[in-house]
Amino acid sequence: MTEADSEIIKPEMLKAYVWLQTSDGSIQQVEQEVAMYCPFICQEIHSDFIKYRAVLTRRGSPLTRSLFEKMDTKRLCELTSAADSLQLKPLVDLTSRALARVIEGRTPEEIREIFHLPDDLTEEEKLEPIKNTMDDPRIRLLNRLYARKRKELKERERLKNVDVEEEHADDRSVDDLLSFINGDNDDSKGSRTSKNKKKNRKRKDHHKTTPSNSTSSSSNAVDMNKKESNELDSVCSNPSLHGKVQTNVCHETKLLDIEDDRLAAEDEFDDCDLDDDIDPALKEKIDREVEDFARRLNSDWPERMQEILSLGQERRPLRLTINGNGSPRRYTNGFSCVDYDHIAAGEKVTPSPTSGVPKLL
Amino acid sequence: MEELGRDFLSDLPQSIIETILTKLPIRDAVRTSILSSRWRYKWASMTHLVFDDRSATQFNDRMVVEDRIVNFITRFLFLHDGPIHKFSLSSSYLQSSPDIDQWLLFISRKDVKELVLELGEGEWFRAPSCVFSCKNLMRLELVRCELDPPPNFKGFLCLKYLNLQQVLIPPDDIECLISSCPLLESLTLSYFDSLELTVRAPNLKYLILEGEFKDLCLANTPLLVAISVAMYMTDDIAEHFEQSSSCNFDKFLGGVPKLERLIGHIYFTKYLSIGNGQRRSPITYHHLKFIELYQVSFDDIKEVLVVLQLIMNSPNLKALQISGSSNTTAATRAPDLQFWDEKLSTDCTLGQLKTVKLTDVSGVPHEMKFIKFLLEHSPSLEEMSVTPSLYVTEGRLNMLIDLVSFKRASSQASIVFIHEPA
Repeated sequence: MTEADSEIIKPEMLKAYVWLQTSDGSIQQVEQEVAMYCPFICQEIHSDFIKYRAVLTRRGSPLTRSLFEKMDTKRLCELTSAADSLQLKPLVDLTSRALARVIEGRTPEEIREIFHLPDDLTEEEKLEPIKNTMDDPRIRLLNRLYARKRKELKERERLKNVDVEEEHADDRSVDDLLSFINGDNDDSKGSRTSKNKKKNRKRKDHHKTTPSNSTSSSSNAVDMNKKESNELDSVCSNPSLHGKVQTNVCHETKLLDIEDDRLAAEDEFDDCDLDDDIDPALKEKIDREVEDFARRLNSDWPERMQEILSLGQERRPLRLTINGNGSPRRYTNGFSCVDYDHIAAGEKVTPSPTSGVPKLL
Repeated sequence: MEELGRDFLSDLPQSIIETILTKLPIRDAVRTSILSSRWRYKWASMTHLVFDDRSATQFNDRMVVEDRIVNFITRFLFLHDGPIHKFSLSSSYLQSSPDIDQWLLFISRKDVKELVLELGEGEWFRAPSCVFSCKNLMRLELVRCELDPPPNFKGFLCLKYLNLQQVLIPPDDIECLISSCPLLESLTLSYFDSLELTVRAPNLKYLILEGEFKDLCLANTPLLVAISVAMYMTDDIAEHFEQSSSCNFDKFLGGVPKLERLIGHIYFTKYLSIGNGQRRSPITYHHLKFIELYQVSFDDIKEVLVVLQLIMNSPNLKALQISGSSNTTAATRAPDLQFWDEKLSTDCTLGQLKTVKLTDVSGVPHEMKFIKFLLEHSPSLEEMSVTPSLYVTEGRLNMLIDLVSFKRASSQASIVFIHEPA
């Protein structure tokens, strides 16, 4: 830490040095003025023989900022930790700010890569297949189409002055939050029924009362995912209703948006390009395109499905719950995000209700 | 990049993680919940919540943005877990709404210590009564709001910092509010209309006032260290001043012995000059080191007297900055310059005065005499900078001639005439 210190702190023309022994045994020479900022050292040293006049460059000096930027994150973390132990508040502040700047505005993948964070939320991710294949250009296109459709519908509704049907009975708290954060274009999910809030809360409480369950946290997230899929399930069963499909589309995009900010940016960009008036014929065409894409996507998933199935049964909670609409829905392990039952596709997608053990949390 | 990348970030102590998250825009802080399982709820125990328009994505439709912000904050608070020490909400998209009342109710139950509210320009937000039940509040900052303390309100007993800007509050209540916060150290009141204010705050150190004040009185502020006042004037107030007989200088600066810094804008000097007798005030400001006065009209002898009184009663004055009043309406009568030679006692020495900065100098007679006075009585002066007013074009040469001719008590004094070619 001390060598880092002397990098950061502009060396003034000080003559007084102190010798500090670090925990690994090495002895470092540190300018006394610097060392005095540490309360521990201060108490050790009697300061009556030296007068300091130097000013420590800190608090946003461009010199220190650029130094931090060049520092790799491992050292930055170590420095922060050391500064904290030594109670050097200004240094903690600077390093925390530098770390925050590293995190700000990056996608989760980038952050994980930079800081070597384990990607151990993958269960939920795997259960949202579209999210997995984010980089697939078809997904992107699909996303764009969804966005277009959403926008059309929104314009329509605004013109007609009709209240948007509240289909999103269920919404997960955290992920919805995230979708908002990620710039989801959809605003028809704006309000939630209080019933569903209670439902969320009940789940959360339940989750809290079973701390011994090691997978409880991920399961909780899975719960919330399930609710999401549940919603889509109900929605997809009536593809003819534009509104419902719209919701479906929104949810899809939401799942997509959670991990990839770029997609969100594309959405917004695309929205700007669109015409406001789309005639029904074109709308039908787009609908068909969407379904076509969905079908093509689904054809890849049987392989993935196998992969996941082989990873372990216990990680796929299969449950029966009731959504806000009051009708029981069946949760699969996520592939029912889009219910392709009615589309001729790999039949492995829809598991039978008897497979797997219903896992109640 | 190392092969064996260890996760150093998540191992940092929670207090540092919180510091880092607090430095992120709150939307990014919540996004960290999907980084890894350890990070899933780190954001939920943040104690400093700052909601601003950084978290709002840009849409064309205000209603949409407003809805999204409301949803975000409601959802956030719902998921939050733990104490909340700071709640700051500044958004131009939000107007008064029941949602905000509910958030404040939630916050008031969470032991909040710092509350900042700044909403949009529309209908002003009316602070709900739960705000007054935040017992541990140490910092309160409200912008564009209506404040109506309930009758049984006993004050914020821990409040140290109060900043009210464009706040509608019954005039009696504002004085009660100030005096019922015994620990108050910093008070800022901005954009009040026609306020008569008497400040009673025994621990007050910093006072910042801006607005139209009919009357200002510092009745019990013995510890005041820095004052900054910007006084606007309306015709009503000017009339009120004409009829006033009390000495504003004593009322305002009579009880601040520990004052170190005084800053006055716009009509402050004029305000102080009203009712000011020609006798020298007995109060000495031993700690006053910095004086900054703007828009001082050197045409008005009374304002000049105020400035002199301040300077001569501050033996330890280090730095002086005076900005003249740019509208040089020619004085109708010749200024009484005898005052400078006869009535002004010359036994004062500004022994510590090192820097003087004069801006918007128009070169009127009183002003030049003032500069002469400063130069003659500042033996430690190091630099005096003179910037002429933009409106003075032909008088600059005369100004320079005068400046050069003045005697200087300090041998190290340098005069810098800042002349931008027209």
